[in-house]
Amino acid sequence: MFVARVTGTVVSTQKVASMTGQKLLIVEPLRIDPTDREKLIGTGRSFVVVDTVGAGQDETVLIVQGSSARLTPQTEKLPVDATIIGIVDRVLVGQKTVFKGGERN
Amino acid sequence: MLTGIMVGTATSTAKHDSLNGWKLALVQAQMQDGSPDGEPVLAIDNLGAAMGSRVVLTSEGGAVRDMLKRNDSPVRWMVMGLCDS
Amino acid sequence: MRVAEVIGTVTLSKVHPSLIGARWIIGVPCSLQALKKQGPGDGEDLVIFDGVGAGLGARVGFSEGGEGAAPFYPEKKPVDAYAALILDNLEIDPRF
Repeated sequence: MFVARVTGTVVSTQKVASMTGQKLLIVEPLRIDPTDREKLIGTGRSFVVVDTVGAGQDETVLIVQGSSARLTPQTEKLPVDATIIGIVDRVLVGQKTVFKGGERN
Repeated sequence: MLTGIMVGTATSTAKHDSLNGWKLALVQAQMQDGSPDGEPVLAIDNLGAAMGSRVVLTSEGGAVRDMLKRNDSPVRWMVMGLCDS
Repeated sequence: MRVAEVIGTVTLSKVHPSLIGARWIIGVPCSLQALKKQGPGDGEDLVIFDGVGAGLGARVGFSEGGEGAAPFYPEKKPVDAYAALILDNLEIDPRF
């Protein structure tokens, strides 16, 4: 799994039938700054994900990738490889909070 | 499948119970030129691979679960052969 | 399984119902060099389902991909990384 920020949505009218009604979000994976391990930083990468928990724009979320992305009742029949499975409240590195929900990083 | 060098041995007390009774080998996969390819992996081994020897690894978790007779094992990597030197 | 250094935890304010109560740890994968030096992990951090009760600073073996969800069989849970063991000791061949 990885932590990511929701940066946008994808609107797609023409899509495979199983995806009808599914909202697609764009996310940017975040990582712990490897130099000091004191903050979450963007990676600049971009992924399209589906959502099972009702995440919104700018929220920080937990994402599962690969075949495991289909191990939910909502996604088991979808051609997806990345699914939001949680909304992040807090990221602690050692004793230090490097992210707290409600903040913008 | 791939080949790698058995670079270490690991011991663990707190572990998934499907690992009980298996040796844990630390195996480093190599590029064509012998440099390390990514991070080393812990593989289960009942062939008794020797430190520094070349082994054949499989990453087929389904086959490993068959071998362990466990549907709930998280193990993916297994030493499936020792390379003749 | 790769080996990761446990450096932190993630808590969630909302979670998929199949994962209520899960504990999430942040792991930094270790290269052979990092393991040899018994130094910090040097790979790209990831979030791992803690299946073994790993504390800060522990070195864990974690399964990835479909194997990360296997321990929940026959239940299905959307997990792609699962800490399956805590290393007590790692002996590395000094030639490497």
